[in-house]
Amino acid sequence: MNSVKFEKIKRQHKIELPFMLDFYPLQDEKHTRISQFFKNLREGHLTTTKCEKCGKLLWPPRIICSECLSEKLRWVKLGTEGELYAFTEVRLGAPLGFVQDAPFCVGFVKIGGLLISARIDDTTYEELKIGDKVQLKVVELDDGRVFYRFMPIK
Amino acid sequence: MRKVAVVGGGAAKADKREASWRDLVQEAGKAMFDDVDNMSPKDVDSIFVGAAQPERFAFLTYVAPLVAEYIGVTPRKVLARTELACVSGQAAIRYAWNCVATGMSDIAVAIGVEKMYPPDMAEAQTSMACVLDREWDGVNSISAPPFFAITAQRHMYEFGTTKEQMALVSVKNHHYSSMNPLAQFQKEVTVEAVLKSPVVAPPLNLFDCCPMTDGSAGIILVPAEKAKKYTDTPMYPIGSGQCAIGNVINNLASLTEWIPLKLAAKEAWRTAKTTKDDVDIAEVHDCFTISEIMEYEGLEFCEKGKGGKFIEEGSPYIGGKVAVNPSGGIMGCGHPLGATSIYHTIEILRQFRGDVNKGRYVKGAEIGIQHSLSGAANQHSIIVYGREAK
Repeated sequence: MNSVKFEKIKRQHKIELPFMLDFYPLQDEKHTRISQFFKNLREGHLTTTKCEKCGKLLWPPRIICSECLSEKLRWVKLGTEGELYAFTEVRLGAPLGFVQDAPFCVGFVKIGGLLISARIDDTTYEELKIGDKVQLKVVELDDGRVFYRFMPIK
Repeated sequence: MRKVAVVGGGAAKADKREASWRDLVQEAGKAMFDDVDNMSPKDVDSIFVGAAQPERFAFLTYVAPLVAEYIGVTPRKVLARTELACVSGQAAIRYAWNCVATGMSDIAVAIGVEKMYPPDMAEAQTSMACVLDREWDGVNSISAPPFFAITAQRHMYEFGTTKEQMALVSVKNHHYSSMNPLAQFQKEVTVEAVLKSPVVAPPLNLFDCCPMTDGSAGIILVPAEKAKKYTDTPMYPIGSGQCAIGNVINNLASLTEWIPLKLAAKEAWRTAKTTKDDVDIAEVHDCFTISEIMEYEGLEFCEKGKGGKFIEEGSPYIGGKVAVNPSGGIMGCGHPLGATSIYHTIEILRQFRGDVNKGRYVKGAEIGIQHSLSGAANQHSIIVYGREAK
């Protein structure tokens, strides 16, 4: 009878964070038709699309108006100052990619007629209150992608 | 359309289990078939599998045939996996019910499963954070706990709801889960213990949050006229409502008033030809203490903004105005996403049968509802059950 052979094989233990586990959107023209949003952001402008036909302000930015199906959309600036509608601080249970940042504040910000979620940087839960004014901030990832955050106006 | 009956159901013990995704399915499948007479898995012609994130939690996709294989079912009519995050299980029930009602199926199974404890919990948190719009909300770490924390803060700000009132929901639900052998938590908690538990995302402490859970549960649906062949105590789905408004934060109808819940409830009462006042048991989605408080309001068991007062006055206890979560809720029983709603169904079935611990038995209940929400509370689903077919 042949003896059973035992052999150790290797498993790849660590891989770079793959794109499908990366929360930040792909931003260039090859990957999205709203790359203008990120170009605008790189220049310090938080923008979104507005329908030229029905006037609906769309968030997130679109290529087709979900109200009237028009393809005639234009980019509009939302401004750089918002108001904190409500907020919290992530202390436990942050996802991969953000674990090392905890604790950090997140909130819903009223800006330019929208209510959007965002990280609130350079502050703590105790320092913030509902109604606080917050200022747009742009963060750049080491691969060149950008994203918006806010910080308190001191 | 035919009237439909739920003739039985069974579940795996919900917990942090030393068992795999497919172990859980087998346990639930056996428990389910053991619960009905005169039926073998081969009699089932259709199966719907509620599974929220098998790709993430178990690295599996295309799970409907896999589950069918493991529980011995050879579907010849209809099969599909249903995904609707925390409401995946109720979606499975709704489709199974519809298929039996229309005649597409004669015996359908709705079974849900989730395995939420991978070796690295950061992976599980990552999966959870892509339920909300990953590129516009998840990217800001808006997963369930921060979303409901922000909701709670705003509810407290607008209506004066307190952390103590929220804690009372956890106390109630752990009280009932301590008497439920299927539940993840078998111990009571006090208001003080809730308030002193670690802060997850203020104003939410750990005991304001439901746990991660491994679990699986299944039910069997047949035409009402055939129900008595399989059980002496069938239960009948008599109405339903479901509504979603918006997805990303900006497009929600409101943060502090769950409009989709109100609309789903209105439709549920209309289709069941009943009212909120007839509800004896409400198994609702208490993923966080604030959720249950807002559900008292959305289901109109109390006025808008008065949910905190409602629990303070003891109204959602058995013997109060309406028994809310006599199972122990998600808070006490656990929340295995795809299976959660089906645990709800089994709870109502067992309540109707009188097959529960005395301390959490809602005697003489005629109408029970199950409610689940998903995502940024932008989607709500309700099914109404009666002891009698309507």
